[in-house]
Amino acid sequence: MRALVVYCHPKEESFNAAVRDTVLEQLSQAGIPTRVHDLYADGFQPVLTGPEWSGYLDCPDNRKSVEAYVADVEWCDTLIFVYPTWWYGLPAMLKGWLDRVLIPDVAFVMPKSEGETIKPGLHHIARMGVFTTCGASRWLTFIIGAPGRRTLMRGVGFLLRPKARKVFAAHYLMDTAPHHSLERHLAHVAAKTRRLIGTDAEATSLHGAPAE
Amino acid sequence: MTVSQPRVLVIFAHPVPESLNAAAHQVVVDTLMAKGWQVDDCDLYAEGFDPVLSTEERRNYHDTAVNCAPVQDYVDRLRAADAVVFCHPVWNFGYPAILKGWFDRVMLPGVCFDLKDGKLSPCLDNVRKLAAVCTYGATSWRAFLAGDPPRKLLKRAVWGTVRPEKIRYIAQYDMNNITRAGCEGFLERVRKEMEAF
Repeated sequence: MRALVVYCHPKEESFNAAVRDTVLEQLSQAGIPTRVHDLYADGFQPVLTGPEWSGYLDCPDNRKSVEAYVADVEWCDTLIFVYPTWWYGLPAMLKGWLDRVLIPDVAFVMPKSEGETIKPGLHHIARMGVFTTCGASRWLTFIIGAPGRRTLMRGVGFLLRPKARKVFAAHYLMDTAPHHSLERHLAHVAAKTRRLIGTDAEATSLHGAPAE
Repeated sequence: MTVSQPRVLVIFAHPVPESLNAAAHQVVVDTLMAKGWQVDDCDLYAEGFDPVLSTEERRNYHDTAVNCAPVQDYVDRLRAADAVVFCHPVWNFGYPAILKGWFDRVMLPGVCFDLKDGKLSPCLDNVRKLAAVCTYGATSWRAFLAGDPPRKLLKRAVWGTVRPEKIRYIAQYDMNNITRAGCEGFLERVRKEMEAF
């Protein structure tokens, strides 16, 4: 197993950093080789440029401007996102990672002839974890339709190996969250991570059944 | 809304001028101008908008005395608008990062919603009409299966904070298989929608 953790938060003292560390600790305890894309620390440039868009379909030249990021996506078989939900969606920084790194012939295959549609290209990825925090309540997020969760769990999820194992955990109402609730959530994140990588009893007994 | 010369803010987010989305953007601007709107054409790529919410901005996010300062011009343009039209492609079932960053950085507490004791209340009262003109690579059924996040963001989240009298979502799906006639049909649909806007 090889894990890529894509982490996106501007403040190092944020709760998201604690979530990231919890995930990394579980991966490390399981002895899983791990790479991290810390987008703010990297100063990642999220804007897909005009030249990139014009060359979007020119494979493999389209990966040149983001080669190191693409290499890690191709290297991993477990993909984990840790980020805050802003405006019910991904921060621009993380959305830009999807726009610029998950490109044709890396994440999906463009139609080759008329009438065809886009085909998935991340079949080497068998597990995906999505860990986020929301200012809104669970109820309001549900009413809005959880656009950020859908972008990743369904949009990116569609590109993965069929029946890939997926886990999702969110802490809601972050602006008024009491300390004990945050602590409890970290334990929840740890359990979900173990479930994702199959180091808990339940996941072993389920034998790879997709979990959410 | 003022009776004479209502103002519309057009937020455009496509990097390439020869794209169908750029053509749709031109139709939006031209049609609205012809219909007597005063158009503030905000081309995020051309203006070099920086979509990354910085560490400092995150720290000051809830402080309505200072949170607008880094993007004051964009906030002023939004507050001056009677209507907002978004014109953008859909990439990976979401907004282009440059547009998502406009939401992250400009649609702030105190600008479009007030946050008190964890409760939201809308406060962008000047915007009475909303529309989006979008181009998708995905087919409409696949976008539907994915939950169509950009459509929900506009029709539920933005609707909820603006509470407009009118909202229109004009989408062209399956851009990879579109014909010339399909493109022209889409532009015609955009023109008619904007005439009726």
